[in-house]
Amino acid sequence: MKKKVGTGILYVLAIFWAFMTFFPLVITFLSSVKDNAGITLSMFALPEEWRWSNYADAIKVANMGRAVLNSIFVALTSTVLVIISGMLAAYILSRKNFKLRKLIYSLFIIGVMVPVHCTIIPISGMATATGGKNTYWFLILVYVAFNLSQAVFLFTGFLNSIGTELDEAARIDGCNDFQLLFRVLMPVSVPIISTQAILTFVFGYGELVFSMVLISDESKYNISRGMLSFQSAYQSNLGPIFASIIIAVVPIIILYIVFHEKVQAGMLAGAVKG
Amino acid sequence: MTNKKYKDRLIIVLFLLPALALFISLIVYPVFNTIVLSFQSWKGIYGAPKTFVGIENYIRVFQSENFWNALLNSFYFMLGGFGVLLPLSFGLALLITSKLKGRKFMKTSYFMPVMLSTTAVALMWVYILNPSFGLLNELLRAVGLDVLAKDWLSTPTLNVWSVIMVNTWMYAGYNMLIFTAGLVTIPQELYEAGELDGCTGWKKIRYIAIPLSRESFKVFSVLCVTGCLKAFDLIWAMTKGGPNNSSEMPATLLYNEAFTFKNFGKSSSIGVILLFLGITLSLILNKTFDQKED
Repeated sequence: MKKKVGTGILYVLAIFWAFMTFFPLVITFLSSVKDNAGITLSMFALPEEWRWSNYADAIKVANMGRAVLNSIFVALTSTVLVIISGMLAAYILSRKNFKLRKLIYSLFIIGVMVPVHCTIIPISGMATATGGKNTYWFLILVYVAFNLSQAVFLFTGFLNSIGTELDEAARIDGCNDFQLLFRVLMPVSVPIISTQAILTFVFGYGELVFSMVLISDESKYNISRGMLSFQSAYQSNLGPIFASIIIAVVPIIILYIVFHEKVQAGMLAGAVKG
Repeated sequence: MTNKKYKDRLIIVLFLLPALALFISLIVYPVFNTIVLSFQSWKGIYGAPKTFVGIENYIRVFQSENFWNALLNSFYFMLGGFGVLLPLSFGLALLITSKLKGRKFMKTSYFMPVMLSTTAVALMWVYILNPSFGLLNELLRAVGLDVLAKDWLSTPTLNVWSVIMVNTWMYAGYNMLIFTAGLVTIPQELYEAGELDGCTGWKKIRYIAIPLSRESFKVFSVLCVTGCLKAFDLIWAMTKGGPNNSSEMPATLLYNEAFTFKNFGKSSSIGVILLFLGITLSLILNKTFDQKED
């Protein structure tokens, strides 16, 4: 009997937190289809009339469609570059023996400790000097750099864990280093590559600080900048602001629903490295 | 040098080059540059001369009330981290590793907030915490607790704690996974053996789950302390550090000193202090946890 009561309490707690998790999203969604009066009167209530036009406003006025595309483009390009440059480096660090190997590996690992904010002034200066302000390419290179430590750590660890039997077989078949890495080792490393891909994509999709430092051209805003500037400029009409939040989170929620197990495993791998 | 050896060297350099070049130019060099800049006075005009001022920037930082207030706010973040986030995440981890039905669904839902980008989370909560029409005050008034309805994001100290609670909401599921990873490695037989010795319910958690989760507590502690020092996005999107700098964090202070007030030297010295604090605290934490193991 006592045990049943205990289990009952656990269910109540579990359901309570699930409710707490979804609640803000549901309220945001409801508000996104209301007018001002509907929101200010009661955020709880269902909308009297579903104003889908708020979404059109968010897309037209706040340019949220463009912001989502910018976010996806920058995040995706960074992801691809992190994987390629990270794999190239990890291959060397795991398969070749040379003097500076340990030192270079440690350099990458120490990079994890560097807080982003310690670098924003020099990075801003470098962007000015190289014409990188307001360009996607500079922003992407910065995102790649800040994801490399983790990528090198995860990729090298993974390559070390798979033996060199594959290498030897490939060598006998006449593969050079390039073919060995891209045709043989990359396909085997898909699990760790997808882990890193998720981490980099999520980082790049909603990144705020570097976007603030490097991008001032509104047409290049990512979702975070888009929402913030819309919110401060357009306070008189609340519905479209909520719509912009929903537009910003939908792509990432879809990604999460489709890949949730992979995402969870990936984020965990990202945490435990420290 | 033989031809093969030469080719091998070439491959090593070529393959390392992209990653190393990016890493050195965008992380290593900027860190050194920030350290140098922290001893200089510079108004941020590109090409303008920088003058060496010794430790003056550091003196100015340590004399500024805003800096100590920002550090205090970071400390509140850590307090919230260990006092609220840790028990909550550990509790959630216990829930989803129990035998409850639907635990997979719970795990997936609990983790979801960390996926939404920080700015989106911040803005959702800004409106829920809005003093006039926000949901929280509406709720409090509806149940007759009008006295508790506050201006959550404008009252000093309270605003920091409001953001800390949003931070807790966002990261509870994430930290839950860290604890889950530790909990699932505890062999079931241990619990069964414990049960024979009368170790049930709370005692199981107290004497088996918690002591055997030390590694998870270590990971949590390091992430929490360094994360609190670096916290920027949530505060920036919810309060911008205001009103009157009351909710400023070291990172928002650093940003404002640089890009609002153009005190690039002073801002850099805050950056160096953050870097130093972050590394020292994580080393201390790692040491403390490793020592206990003997």
